Amino acid sequence: MTLSLQSLSRRYGAVLALSEVSFDIRPGEVQALMGENGAGKSTLIRLLAGLERPDTGQVLRNGKPIALGGPADAEAAGLRFIHQELHVVPALSVAENMHLHHPYPTRAGLVRWGKLRDTAKRALARLGLTHIDPDAPMARLSASDRMLVRIAATLITDGPSPWLYVMDEPTAALTGAEAERLFDVIGELTASGAGVLYVSHRMAEVLRLARTVTVLRDGRHVSTRAIGDTTESQIIADMTGRDLSADVPDRTVPIGTSPLLQVAGLTTATLGPVRFELRPGEILGVAGLAGSGRGALLRALIGASPRRDGTVTMGGTSLTRTTPPEAWSAGIAYVPRERRSEGLMMHRSIQENVALPHLGPLARARVFLNRKAEARMVAKRGAEVRLKSAAPSQSCDHLSGGNQQKVLFARALAGSPKVLLLDEPTRGVDVGAKHDIYRLIRSLGDTGMGVILASSDLPELLGLSDRILVLHDGQQAHLVDNTGLTEADLLTLCYTKEAAA
Amino acid sequence: MSALFRRFGSLIGMAAIVVFFALALPDTFMTARNWLNISQQISMLAVVAAVMTVVMVMGDFDLSVGSMASLAGVVAAVLFVQGWSVPAALAAAIGVGLIGGLFNGVLVSVIGILPFVATLATLTVYSGAAFLVSDGKTIFGRDIPATFSDFARSGMALGDIDGRPAIFPALSLVALAVTAIVWVVLEQTSYGRRLYAIGGNAEAARLAGVPVTVLRLSAFAFTGVGAAIAGLMYASRVASANPVQGDGLMLTAIAAVFLGMTLTENGQPRVLATLAGVVVLGVLDNGLTQMSVDSYVREVLVGAIILIAVSASALGRRGLFGR
Amino acid sequence: MSTKPYRTAIAASVLTLFASGALAETVAVITPYLAQPGTQFYVEAFEGRAAELGWDVNVIDTGGDVAAVISRIEDVVTQGVDAIVINVDPAQVGAGLQAAADAGVPVVGMDAGSDPLLVANVTSNGYAMAVETSVYVANRIGGAGNVVMFTFDPFPPVQVRGVIADAVFANYPDITVLDRITPDVSDGGIADSRAQMEAILAANPEAGSISAVWAAWDQPALGALQAIEAAGREGEGIVITGIDANPQARDAIAQGGNFEASVAQDFAGIGATAADTVARILAGEDIVASVIYVPTVLITSANVTE
Repeated sequence: MTLSLQSLSRRYGAVLALSEVSFDIRPGEVQALMGENGAGKSTLIRLLAGLERPDTGQVLRNGKPIALGGPADAEAAGLRFIHQELHVVPALSVAENMHLHHPYPTRAGLVRWGKLRDTAKRALARLGLTHIDPDAPMARLSASDRMLVRIAATLITDGPSPWLYVMDEPTAALTGAEAERLFDVIGELTASGAGVLYVSHRMAEVLRLARTVTVLRDGRHVSTRAIGDTTESQIIADMTGRDLSADVPDRTVPIGTSPLLQVAGLTTATLGPVRFELRPGEILGVAGLAGSGRGALLRALIGASPRRDGTVTMGGTSLTRTTPPEAWSAGIAYVPRERRSEGLMMHRSIQENVALPHLGPLARARVFLNRKAEARMVAKRGAEVRLKSAAPSQSCDHLSGGNQQKVLFARALAGSPKVLLLDEPTRGVDVGAKHDIYRLIRSLGDTGMGVILASSDLPELLGLSDRILVLHDGQQAHLVDNTGLTEADLLTLCYTKEAAA
Repeated sequence: MSALFRRFGSLIGMAAIVVFFALALPDTFMTARNWLNISQQISMLAVVAAVMTVVMVMGDFDLSVGSMASLAGVVAAVLFVQGWSVPAALAAAIGVGLIGGLFNGVLVSVIGILPFVATLATLTVYSGAAFLVSDGKTIFGRDIPATFSDFARSGMALGDIDGRPAIFPALSLVALAVTAIVWVVLEQTSYGRRLYAIGGNAEAARLAGVPVTVLRLSAFAFTGVGAAIAGLMYASRVASANPVQGDGLMLTAIAAVFLGMTLTENGQPRVLATLAGVVVLGVLDNGLTQMSVDSYVREVLVGAIILIAVSASALGRRGLFGR
Repeated sequence: MSTKPYRTAIAASVLTLFASGALAETVAVITPYLAQPGTQFYVEAFEGRAAELGWDVNVIDTGGDVAAVISRIEDVVTQGVDAIVINVDPAQVGAGLQAAADAGVPVVGMDAGSDPLLVANVTSNGYAMAVETSVYVANRIGGAGNVVMFTFDPFPPVQVRGVIADAVFANYPDITVLDRITPDVSDGGIADSRAQMEAILAANPEAGSISAVWAAWDQPALGALQAIEAAGREGEGIVITGIDANPQARDAIAQGGNFEASVAQDFAGIGATAADTVARILAGEDIVASVIYVPTVLITSANVTE
């Protein structure tokens, strides 16, 4: 039995997320799916799960096309999806959670709790998960056990048993020992004849588990190779290969000498210790795999997560108890990663969004709103960031992703900050807006502003950064000069923990 | 046309209610004297609803405003009995409102209890305190100084209407003043803008340097003071105080804010829209009473009208934004 | 003799008939307490009488909200009702009464208390109730003996009862008022009355030394009864009376013990009389006596079960 993907394409607005992708998936083995952020992995999974329809192309099973019109079709075709964020009901028992997508066994309308429990127990036992009690509330289970329960639940089925599991970053939230347990279960699944499409950024896992590796880049299929015929550096080379230098103008003004921001021993609940200095005009990139603490570092600097230890010094003044209001007034500005949940008041106007951190200085007598001054600020900064909008009174929910991001840039720049913190500034924006944002970041560096740029987009980091700080599990792994660094080098740094700084 | 109706449908509906009463009660409804009456009848509700708007702007609620109004009334009355001067007793009662509001604020913003749960609990606490302070009795008669109870009957002379002298009631003036203050605070100061920001996206506001905890705390204190003022207005109007007399204000005030929200763009709570909601509720009570509609039928009608307004507004928004 | 005045008179009376037929009087009854049983007796009796008179009655319940009573008085004044009936303390709704007075709309109280802004208040006669029980006591003890009185002068409606009993007992040369006690009423009056009565019983140990206990309301009478029974002196024929005929007092009277009499108010009568009073006002009569009393009923074992 083989699943063949043929010429799958999917376009979102201006972005071609998936372009003519074809490859085969075989049962009884683990096939890794790799690629950088935005390479098209998520879109591919969404197509297989029936959550979206392809614009062109089809999926064949043993040569016959299968309909993927919705999640039910995918389920009927024997496909199962294990996501990194699991939908579980914490208050219900393990056995009940395993039956969320199946009717409870009943007799005369009454639930047969004994049978429910036995079914769950048998399914768990088939994967060797005898340590999990079917009666335990889901809330008491560890993250890995919850995922294993979800996998076991797929064995409970009325139709044909599943033969292909699609796992999206399954180990992202797991510890080493927990991941080992998952690997054992994957072994059980493949031994019983099922296939696994394993999506992961973690090279070591891929090399260990997979028999073949498929790499996507910029929505296109680059390669599918047997693991024996390839190497880590070959895979990295397949994943990278994009050249962004044309998009990013070169630095024109030299970096200052006296440090602008000094960070030493910075530690929070999930981060640290981190130590670095930022000089005027410098762009410091922050790299690392998903969950490595890129965002956590910026949140610690803006004061959004409490500092446990360490010092942060701005131009010689120590910020003792950093909170967001203090950080902003000390000259630190922040563009958060999640535009909708962390950045914008979506239903408020551009003007209100831009002016928010600067209301105090703008206000008459520091109390009364000065709408004219706000409008001038929005006009000036809006032009600087090339914001395209109908009017400052326009509500942010009607703007494109790129323009929403520019509103956040205008907000950050409106106070003429000394240090700018950017978390994934080009995430989900179109190519044109991306280009504008790169030019803006470069020009800010040239004015003497210090920029800290956290990104999962390696070409972006390599194109803009003067130095790059690499994080690994919340800890500082490397701090390197961006001279002669290739994408492959950087990716290798992200994967290696050993050479800790 | 239909977009226009969606945007201003509520306003048209409210105007229709007024027009209906004007036609049904041609001689008595659209008279200066009746509107002066209405302004006085809704004055306490207007104050509570205005300060309720302050917390609802942040997406919060204060369920304790009614029992706070009762508590402030009996505190003032008990202090009158103990021989305090009127200004001193009023200041003390408003101080109780401030402390109660701050307490709500601490529970909600510092400790982090859901406003619904926190203020439901303080509703009971303040109500119990009102019974304790007053011994469960109504304080009235000679215990209430004439200067206090006369306030509710005084006002600004407007000359003669229909051959009888008319006044702009003092209670209406207080309600206007409180509404004006809330309007300035919410619409014209950075403080108010930040409250709206919290309501728009609390996490985004926090990351943009808005001191969310302090602002929520202070907004609840604001609401507590407003509730206490309304309680004193009530006590003055009835020249007496008992430990439950303000309790009904809370639900009606929330209803008024919701009615007002059907008028505004994006369904934001705004104090002038809230005032419109209060006026509609007052007009319904006034007009339906004049038409001799049974008091229980009147309650059903008022509830139904709130439901119609809010449903129509929700459907309109879905039409606008739904895809 | 011209026929002209004749015709005018006929026309006038036809007009009057027509007017009264087509435009029935409208009367608003406004109360914050409709849910309370006593109020329901008043209002139902009022409505019954009003139906006979052919009025439009609008009963408005504000659900305990006294400020809303003021608002609704203002509204019905604006509406132009012919009369308003309230049963709330007039001092609390003075603003509304002033609005009615300014517009010339008469307001009648149903057991509401007296106020210059009320045309009339229909209620029970406190003086008469005290007469009923004090004369009952004097007659029962044959005009001779020692009487213990429980009174409460700080509360005016009760104070008048004490004054009447003082006068009645003083009129009998052989009746001696042994003590005139003002009990502590903070707990309702029963407990302290019982304690005070026990002290008096101890000071007058011989049988027959106390002939009667007259109480200005039921609670002290019930306290005295408890004291007498606790002292084992219920057999001495001590006569006890109260006023108000509350359920506890009715029980005691029905059991046929020392507690022999109390006085009940006629709630339905108050409602009907309020309607009659409104009718008199609407007919143009000038109500000279602004307090109108409805007769009360002496409750004894003879009629307590009715």
